[in-house]
Amino acid sequence: MQNKRAVRPQVYPFSAIVGQERLKRALTACAVCPSIGGVLARGQKGTAKSTAVRALAALLPHIEVVRGCPFSCAPEGPHCPACATRIAEGETPATNWRPARLVDLPLGATEDRVSGSLDLEAAIRQGRKQLEPGLLARAHRGVLYVDEVNLLSDHLVDILLDAASMGENVVEREGISFRHPAQLILIGTMNPEEGELRPQLLDRFGLCVEVAAPLDLNERMEVLRRREAFDADPASFAAQWAEEERRMARAIVEARRALPQVRIPAPLLRQATELCLEACVAGHRADIALRLTARTLAALAGREDVRAVDLDEAAELVLLHRRRMPPPPAPPEQEKEKEQKQEDPEHQHEHELEQQQEQQPEPQQAEQQPEDARTGEDEGEMEESPPKDEPEDEPGDGESEATGSPAALETIFPVGAAFRVKPIVYKKDRVVRTGSGRRTRSRTSQKSGRYVKARHNPAPTDLALDATLRAAAPHQFRRRQELSSPQDIAVLVRASDLRQRVREKRMGHFIVFVVDASGSMGAGKRMVETKGAVLSLLLDAYQKRDKVGLVAFRGQGASVLLPPTSSVDLAYKLLEELPTGGKTPLVHGLSLGHELLQRQLRRDPASFPVLVLISDGKANVSLAGGKPLAEAKLAARTIAEDPRIRTLVVDVEKAGLIRFGLAEGLAAEMGAQYFRIEDLHARDLVDVLRREVLESAP
Amino acid sequence: MKNHTFAYPFSAIVGQDLMKEALLLNVVNPKLGGVLIRGEKGTAKSTAVRALASLLPEIDVAEGCPFACKPDGTDLCAACTAKAQAGTLVPTRRRTRVVDLPVGATEDRVLGTLDLEAAIKKGEKHFEPGILAEAHRGILYVDEVNLLDDHIVDVLLDAAAMGVNTVEREGVSFSHPARFVLVGTMNPEEGELRPQLLDRFGLCVQVEGILDIDNRVEVVKRRAAYEENPAGFAETWADKEHAVAQRVERARALLPRVGFPDELLRLVAQIAVDMGVDGHRADLVMMKTAKTLAALDGRDIATREDVGRAAELALPHRMRKKPFQDIGLDKTALAGSMEKGLAK
Repeated sequence: MQNKRAVRPQVYPFSAIVGQERLKRALTACAVCPSIGGVLARGQKGTAKSTAVRALAALLPHIEVVRGCPFSCAPEGPHCPACATRIAEGETPATNWRPARLVDLPLGATEDRVSGSLDLEAAIRQGRKQLEPGLLARAHRGVLYVDEVNLLSDHLVDILLDAASMGENVVEREGISFRHPAQLILIGTMNPEEGELRPQLLDRFGLCVEVAAPLDLNERMEVLRRREAFDADPASFAAQWAEEERRMARAIVEARRALPQVRIPAPLLRQATELCLEACVAGHRADIALRLTARTLAALAGREDVRAVDLDEAAELVLLHRRRMPPPPAPPEQEKEKEQKQEDPEHQHEHELEQQQEQQPEPQQAEQQPEDARTGEDEGEMEESPPKDEPEDEPGDGESEATGSPAALETIFPVGAAFRVKPIVYKKDRVVRTGSGRRTRSRTSQKSGRYVKARHNPAPTDLALDATLRAAAPHQFRRRQELSSPQDIAVLVRASDLRQRVREKRMGHFIVFVVDASGSMGAGKRMVETKGAVLSLLLDAYQKRDKVGLVAFRGQGASVLLPPTSSVDLAYKLLEELPTGGKTPLVHGLSLGHELLQRQLRRDPASFPVLVLISDGKANVSLAGGKPLAEAKLAARTIAEDPRIRTLVVDVEKAGLIRFGLAEGLAAEMGAQYFRIEDLHARDLVDVLRREVLESAP
Repeated sequence: MKNHTFAYPFSAIVGQDLMKEALLLNVVNPKLGGVLIRGEKGTAKSTAVRALASLLPEIDVAEGCPFACKPDGTDLCAACTAKAQAGTLVPTRRRTRVVDLPVGATEDRVLGTLDLEAAIKKGEKHFEPGILAEAHRGILYVDEVNLLDDHIVDVLLDAAAMGVNTVEREGVSFSHPARFVLVGTMNPEEGELRPQLLDRFGLCVQVEGILDIDNRVEVVKRRAAYEENPAGFAETWADKEHAVAQRVERARALLPRVGFPDELLRLVAQIAVDMGVDGHRADLVMMKTAKTLAALDGRDIATREDVGRAAELALPHRMRKKPFQDIGLDKTALAGSMEKGLAK
């Protein structure tokens, strides 16, 4: 097939990008020294992340390759099998120089194209089993770019990680066994709004840069001017910047040449190690990257000795995504992977926050502007202002007088500050499900979801044409000979060749929040915090694409405030308007929540239903004339008997002299995970969650 | 939209001026990045988008090219390059297309996939173009865009970001240009859009049902007349429709010459900073929209009023910094910011 590779519209010149110095430095450093290990650019949408990466292509130095080698082998090695054979036979292959490539890895890519697969045409026409190189081969000694890298499906990430750690790509599929070198600069861009990156992948990136748009008016105006000039006439705009581009490209080549001579003085070497220790990084990758980056920056500055400025700049780039909280007790060996999966982003995140707080130490502002505190601006700030135990005075909207007399008055409390919820992850099971969401990966039976790979299936409902053809291809020669009469088709497919597509989707949970809105919740700051807690869980649900429903109970009954929806926005709005007051019809709330879940299960038996009860458990309204508390416990037991439903109780009872522990008892009846509201953001909760939630998964 | 069917004429749509303006702006200037139309059911959203087809200009394409190659362009697809070398490339003109992206579309249909027939019959791998190829140089219309599957949104974003569709799947490796105006409609009650996708829409308008009795009656009357006799109805509106088409044509010709003074650049930047938008896309869209508004008005210089109107179209969906805040524009804040920007 004719690969039309040349589709690259005129690219905005690298040197014409206004500001974003740190990003440009990181990218340049990687172009100078590929072993730094690539760049991850995190930041808001529309901040020239992709533009900068794509522009980098023009600045990549030329590389010398074995002429005609599909794997871009370097003459000095490592070599692909073909080149290795040639050299072993005493041949000195001819070479040529060409620019290093920037290869796009699109999100919709399938495994066969990333790692490479059987060359269909060669197989059918010549009966030869031959590898058709994939993207990893193309990107060897160049850049592999993943836009929105946090959305890349996990199976592709796995392939990337394998290749990155070994420096080679091993293909074992469709009867092909092949390995070839794959050393690439991995560059990723992402918007953290859409979810975080897997820690293993995060650690693979040598450098990390946070990108934000400048607030300086003149800079913004310059962005506008240049962009408009570029859009109006890309070619002449590029021509204007050609000289500057050439200068940068030369600087990169020169720095690359000078790099081996650059030395780090002993005191700085020591300082580099101290920096890494201070940041509590895991492993030695950071140390190595830090030294290499510092040397590269010195080389770029035309010096042969590393100075403190280089080291400082390098530390900002290398340590940003690796910083962790001190000092995690050494986990047992087999837990290490899980540990990384769950804890690293938190550690790193918290540390970033510390930095942020240092930069802008304005704890009072949160008090002066409760609105900011209660809605939070982004994940970062959310955690920055966790619900305080002794926080600012009552909401101060003139509604606070009601808090002292929690009986009859109806009050609307503001939503408390949100905090980041520890990841709640369920194990993948083997039930085939439908739906879309991001929390738990699951195989899906619908003809939707990402086509992951193919599997042998003599009666496929979702034919994987490419895989089927590849399976059939090697047999064509023989099958044709067995035919009695010639037929006008090129490929004879037998049932044994048929392949079914395996698709994968992330399944969202269906979470019903049952929220206590009774008068007792008005006491102290409970409702404010409760709303804050629900908001936090909602935010988590949003990022995981869960479906949520909201049930509130107060006064004489419960009502469904929010029917199952994936519009978490709507849920937030309702939460904001949710009034508090009256008695506590806990049993009503529980039954209604249960009913909602059952309805959902009937419609979609494969969903992951979760019931979250947020209450102090002080039931005082009866549904059937019995004792309110006993009834509530009965309802809890009924829910516990349904094995499909997972439950979670958030106790909002204030820690004080007298604790009733009613919600705790209820949680026990329900077989629920139990948290006190003040624990929900505590660090040690990670352990609890891992133990409780992961192991309770079916 | 085929030409021989009679779509409801654009000019015959009652009210909904903001939506119509936003659509026209995108017809005049495809670089605005499309429009997201938010509103309840039955507010002429889809009708307006389909009606747009007849106002779209004709474009030069290579005959029979599935990728709508520009005959004189430098980035021809492989087939067209071969044809050009053999001297068999036939240039032709056709109307810009409005291509539907159905909510249930599969990834291979959207991106393109392995050509089944060529593979089976000839044992060759060919790329069968998908919806993105069809939409190149045209309008990609997604009704109920908020119901689109996540992974489809991902690939859509990928293509929209680059203007190129890169396919690396099912044994096929192929890329082709895919620049399109993205038009989406949605009912916010059924769930919100992901911020990343939201930001890809240049403009955003909110439509509401018409409350004025007379206008409502007019809506029903016109609809009835159209359904009874589409051809006749189209005939009645032909003049008005022609006038709109001409206005668009003139604006398009004028657009490259529209000036944008420095003080307006400053104003745009000031508004973007004050309103706390992410990144630079809002700034760019505001500027381009203001220029296009001037062009539609027949002026060769943009004014502060243009910037104000542009802000109202470009900012509503970019204002929220968090998933839960209401989508919408704080008009008082905007007015304040404009004052500030102009005072300097």
